[in-house]
Amino acid sequence: MEKIRKKHSFLNVKEKSFLIVAGTILLGMALVITGFPGITIAAGPKVIKIGSIQPATGMIAEIGQACRRGNLLAVEDINARGGIKSMGGAKLELLLGDSEGKPPIGRSEAERLIKNGSVCLVGAFMSSVTMAIATLAEQRGVPFVIDIAAADPITQQGYKHVFRNFTKSSVFGRCYADYIKDIIAHSKVPIKRAVLMNIDDLFGTVTAKFTLKALKDKNVPIDIVAHITFPHAAKDISTEVAKAKAAKPDILIPIVRIASSRVLLKELYKQKVKLLGIVAPGCPGFYEPEFFKDMRKLANFIMDSPPWINPKSSMFKEVNARYQKKFNKGPMDTNSAYAYEGVMIIADALERAKSTEPDKIVAALRKTNIKEHITLGGPIVFDKNGDNPNAITGMLQNLNGRTRLVLPREFAEVDYVFPTPNLWER
Amino acid sequence: MNLTLLIQALIGGFLVGGVYSLIAIGLSLIFGVMKIINFAHGEIMMIAMYITYWLFVLLKIDPIISIIIVAPLIFLLGYCMQRFLVNRIIDAPELIQILLMLGVAIVLTNLALFIWGPDHRMAATRFSLSAIMLGGITIDVSRLIAFGIAIIVSIGVFLFLAKTETGKMIRAAADNRLGAQIVGIKVNRVYAISFGVGSACVGIAGALILPLIPLDPYLGPSYTLTSFIIVILGGMGSLLGAFIGGIIIGVAESLGAVLLVSSLKELVSFSILIVILLFRPQGLFGTRNE
Repeated sequence: MEKIRKKHSFLNVKEKSFLIVAGTILLGMALVITGFPGITIAAGPKVIKIGSIQPATGMIAEIGQACRRGNLLAVEDINARGGIKSMGGAKLELLLGDSEGKPPIGRSEAERLIKNGSVCLVGAFMSSVTMAIATLAEQRGVPFVIDIAAADPITQQGYKHVFRNFTKSSVFGRCYADYIKDIIAHSKVPIKRAVLMNIDDLFGTVTAKFTLKALKDKNVPIDIVAHITFPHAAKDISTEVAKAKAAKPDILIPIVRIASSRVLLKELYKQKVKLLGIVAPGCPGFYEPEFFKDMRKLANFIMDSPPWINPKSSMFKEVNARYQKKFNKGPMDTNSAYAYEGVMIIADALERAKSTEPDKIVAALRKTNIKEHITLGGPIVFDKNGDNPNAITGMLQNLNGRTRLVLPREFAEVDYVFPTPNLWER
Repeated sequence: MNLTLLIQALIGGFLVGGVYSLIAIGLSLIFGVMKIINFAHGEIMMIAMYITYWLFVLLKIDPIISIIIVAPLIFLLGYCMQRFLVNRIIDAPELIQILLMLGVAIVLTNLALFIWGPDHRMAATRFSLSAIMLGGITIDVSRLIAFGIAIIVSIGVFLFLAKTETGKMIRAAADNRLGAQIVGIKVNRVYAISFGVGSACVGIAGALILPLIPLDPYLGPSYTLTSFIIVILGGMGSLLGAFIGGIIIGVAESLGAVLLVSSLKELVSFSILIVILLFRPQGLFGTRNE
């Protein structure tokens, strides 16, 4: 016993030196892999870090994951094409942050990503979170490209480092009013009465406000006969739908999120609410691939007008094919496509800035003019607030189990069907 | 005010209330016996819903039938939770108990997130879209079935506690733990069974509402909160109180949506909570302790 223990408890000299050598090698390898943080910066960046903050977990994690996939695919594409050529082919690296959909967490994640060497930030889907990050980015002097976030005020703070590619809430409303006018003009049956139903969170109330304002400003000849607000996490909205039914609307204008879209539609079906159509002013919940899986035939004919991909763009077709192959997910939608563009815009600016200095990146971002991209609207440019004035929304309609773009006509894939059959006759 | 709308709201609230009752009975039973507030109650329901969902998707078992499988499984989950976790803190200060139960809730949520991801899932069952029309009033079939089964299960729980030997042991242990121990009742086992039964109740409720609401890992807390309000309204530990409290909250929320602005309907249940706490802190059917 004694002997055995001795054998096991001491290493001989040979073993000791072997361990020292092995340890040194391992440490060296570890340093090489982590990229000698201090040394690489001095030698000019081989890797440029971009911080991506998305709501990857939490209430809207589904969407957050789609945004993250868009960011990741863009980074991969740019690296595959040889990285940032003006900086010796420097590769992009995406640092991943998760806001959990909460502003303070989004902010601290952004802080962490900046500390870890992000030269630019991209994100953050929710307007409240984006606002928190925009303030931080301005303080720290780190350029922030908003891939998705609609609330107008974010870019009205006079910030120098904040740019937004996404459509503003006010533009959502204006486009929607135009599309409704188009539908009214082309419909064979008169459309006079509408019920607006919206969830009561920030997104729901703000969108409702802008929608009502735009319908009024643009003199759309339609009466809002009931305006029903219901809780975001409502377990049961049968009473709300009964209220909507009692108002006898021609069309329903819903502003919902992923979960509530299902509950609403089922309830409309069960209570047999007669409608000429369901036309949403650009909310999530009606066009994701999961929506078709869950609602099947009921998903058909619903119209929604979010910012959208450009189905006619050859670049979109090519990117979308790779997206579907790589992630094994349905076609790219607003979330993944705008997230993709967010990174694309940063890479384009880095290429022209030839530097990772914030001022030079900001100057390059100001001069952005990307003609070929994958979403609706004209070239990506930024105005003095940092907004993209060419960002618009499109009117979509679900037809035969697919979401098709129906308006504006210059981008449209097919013509829309209106009035639509009753839910229970689909 | 439109009368049809009012009747519609009353019926809707009543049907939802029945399911609320079943959820709250589970919570109340656990509290009544062990004096522990199960903050993971909604999460247990969420797990039960996932089991029901997969039974439906993979084996095509209708949620109503899958109750036969889900209830024992969730009973077992509750039983083990009590045996290995809750039992250790049964005499600990309340704060520690709350922390443990919150911890369990977080673990269950993240486990679901890890295994099934954050996607919303919805089971398109046979009845999920059917409704009965009576004049201008719609009665939702899934909700009606959920209500009926919830009532049957609730009565079953009452009978179990009143008539069976185990039920009597549970009541004895709830009334006086030391006394129960002296007459030879294995209190630990009885506690574990109560926790199991309480969990099975909420598990069944989960299976029943699966056709009605989209399932995701985060739906637990709002149900825990609602059942907590119901239990306070009915009286902590009173099963009858939980039953009637559930119906009251269901109807109150539904009427609130008609009579007030609908986004204020949660305000109704919280207002009831505050009024009860101010004027009858022991709840409608609770007895004042000591």
